[in-house]
Formats: sequence, structure tokens, C-alpha cells
Amino acid sequence: MATTPNSLVLEISGVKIVPQSNYHSGNSVKVKLLPNTKSPIARRTPTIYGRTNTPRGLQQIKSSHMAAQNVDSTDDRISRISSSIRVIADFPKPGILFQDITTLLLDPKAFKDTIDLFVERYKEQNINVVAGIEARGFIFGAPIALAIGAKFVPLRKPKKLPGEVISEEYSLEYGTDIMEMHVGAVQAGERALVVDDLIATGGTLSAAIRLLERVGVDVVECACVIELPELKGRNLLGDKPLFVLVS
Amino acid sequence: MFASKNGLKGDPRLEAISEAIRVVPHFPKPGIMFQDITTLLLDHKVFKYIVDIFVDRYKNMTISVVAGIEARGFMFGPSIALAIGAKFVPLRKPGKLPGKVIYQAYELEYGEDCLEMHIGAVQEGEKALVIDDVVATGGTLSAAIKLLERMGAEVVECACVVGLPELKGQSRLNGKPLYILVEPREIENCC
Repeated sequence: MATTPNSLVLEISGVKIVPQSNYHSGNSVKVKLLPNTKSPIARRTPTIYGRTNTPRGLQQIKSSHMAAQNVDSTDDRISRISSSIRVIADFPKPGILFQDITTLLLDPKAFKDTIDLFVERYKEQNINVVAGIEARGFIFGAPIALAIGAKFVPLRKPKKLPGEVISEEYSLEYGTDIMEMHVGAVQAGERALVVDDLIATGGTLSAAIRLLERVGVDVVECACVIELPELKGRNLLGDKPLFVLVS
Repeated sequence: MFASKNGLKGDPRLEAISEAIRVVPHFPKPGIMFQDITTLLLDHKVFKYIVDIFVDRYKNMTISVVAGIEARGFMFGPSIALAIGAKFVPLRKPGKLPGKVIYQAYELEYGEDCLEMHIGAVQEGEKALVIDDVVATGGTLSAAIKLLERMGAEVVECACVVGLPELKGQSRLNGKPLYILVEPREIENCC
């Protein structure tokens, strides 16, 4: 599925339209409509089931059941999801373009579609555990867990979880941080999904994978709404597949 | 205030919810019996009971905003929002929300903290629900109510899974009704 009639590959970066109904003031962004495009979704092209619409071509996906039966409806859902995400420049520091999913959460249809896309993928995969990374991973992970009949396990910053925990240290750009999980939340042999809103460098997700594997859990996949592919976070996930909606 | 006195008397789901809570003594400091809801989330059936009870209560109230308080409010709020077709609005500690925000300070036992909400997340006249896992003094919930009201929303109710004794029988917070599923679990020989 390299291209669709609505595929958009734009050259400008850091600019996008945000639906005005989502907020009164705040960051309004100018967008240039390029010729030959139907709508100005900038910076990202929709990713469908692990494939990217990039010049380097299609990547093979591992799960054979990801056939393109519902491509059209998936496309509509993904474009709406993509355009509901707000980009905020220079947050948390200059030079960073922050992908703000709070505007997605303000669009009930886009939020529902986001969860549905994950649930459709995982509901038949015998997932026992959905592990969500604090705090935005909770917002997506808990509804997914509920819908597929799995446990929800929060992975948290230090000292938030009240019971006995196991900890995993991971690198930040400057320094390190720690991720914790309750002892006994998961059992060896259980099949798990790790969920976060976004994958950047992959540091947090790879810490989550290590934490779960240390207690014998089988991490089936990592699932994020957004990927920043230029940061190559996938490479830190080892042999664990990554599934994203928007790249 | 409590669900058992508010239409759900004898509902076996409430007992299941109560029994799934884990009490952790002396967290975060000596003398506090912490009501740990993470064990609820490990029991899919019980997690679903909680969401179903809240959804049944709120689905016909034309609520268009569910505001969840960071971070445990994020574990319950989104599922409720999705089921009733409302927006989910995260209310966060300072510095987390990337866009323009309004903030509301509130008192802690020692000192002060602050809650923030994105400007434009709610519109004037919208009806809102506030969700958190546990209500103790009600300080955080009060701050949440103020944030929503400052943007012109009408807070219909505050909903929590567990309500602590500090409430001392209050059934309202800033004049807003409180709806709580269960009382705190006592530490007999549990856990």
C-alpha cells in the first residue's frame, strides 16, 4: 500500500493545521497548501499497520493477518487521527516540535477510532497484559486493556507505586531516570503489550520491555499512536515489533 | 454520596470492587493506609464494573467533558469518556501540558500544589464530570472544579472510586455533588 488517492507527502515540516474548534487561543499555526495536495496534513504521512509511505519503500510486516481488507475506512480514521494531533513548537525546550495528543482526546470520534484501531489488531492475540507508560500511556492503554479483556499495569516514575516494586534504569538525553512496576502485577509466561502515546528515541519503551522480560513476560508488541521515525526508536526495541498509527 | 446509598444498595459489584483494592500501610508516610487501586486494574472484571457503573450513571446527562486528574484519574476517565461520547481533558501537574494553560493552586497538608488545564479544552456551557481514583480532603477536586468553572463549564458531579474519612460526611464539594463507589478498605488480614 505505497500510495492511496489521498496520500500526502509534503516538504514543509513543523507546520500543520489544527482544527480551530479544538481551542480558542493558544498556538495557531500557518499552513501553506502545496499544489497537488488535497488537504494540508503536514509533517506526517499516515502509517498503516507498520508500513510507511517513504521513499525507501514498504517494510514487511510480521503479522500475516494485517491484510488490507478495510484500508479505506482505516485511511479515513487515520487521517482524522493525524490531523487532530497538535504540534507545539519549542516545548519542552527550543527546537523541539512537541506532538500534543490532548487535542486528539478532545475529538471523541478520533479518540474512539484510535482505540478501535489498536483493539482490532490485538483482540484475537491472547494478550493478558497491557502495560501503559506514565502518564499518557495510561490514557490509551487502559481503554485498550478494558476492550480486549486484559489486565492494565501502570509503569510509573519512582516512588509513585505504593507496594513493592521492581525498577529499571534508563538513559535520558542528560542523565537517567527510573521506571517501576509492582511486584506481582504480571506473571511469567503472560503475553503483554506496551503502550505509550509516542515513541521518540525508544529509551522509555525499551526500559519497559526489559522490566517485563525480567519477570518472564512475553512482550508481544509495542504500540504507540505516534512515531518520530527520524529518531530511530525502533532500533532500541531489539526484536520486539512496533505498531504505530501515525509516523 | 456513596453509590450504595444512591441507587446501588446491595449491588454485588460494589463488594467486588472493595475487595479488589489493596491497602498499603504507611505509604507515602507513617500512619497513612494507602488505598491502592492498581490491584483493581489487574482484575478485568472489576475494572469493567467500575467503568460500567459510572457510564450507566452519566450517559444520559449530556456530559460532553470528562476531566481526569493526573495520573490515576487517567486510568478511569478515558474509558468513561469514550463510552459516553465525551471529550477527555487531562488535568495535570505544572509544566506537563505543552500548550497555553490556566492553573489553579490548592493546599496540601504541608505547602501547596497546582493543577493545570489547556486553554480551549472546554467551551463555555459544556457539562463536565471530574474523575479521580480517591478523594481525601477534596483539595485536588476543588481545584479541578475551579479550573473548569473558570472556563465557563458546568461541573455536574465529581466521581471517585474510593472516598476517605477526611471528607467527614460531606456530600458536596464547592457545592458540587460527589459520587463515590466505595469506602476505604480496612486492613484486617487482607493483602
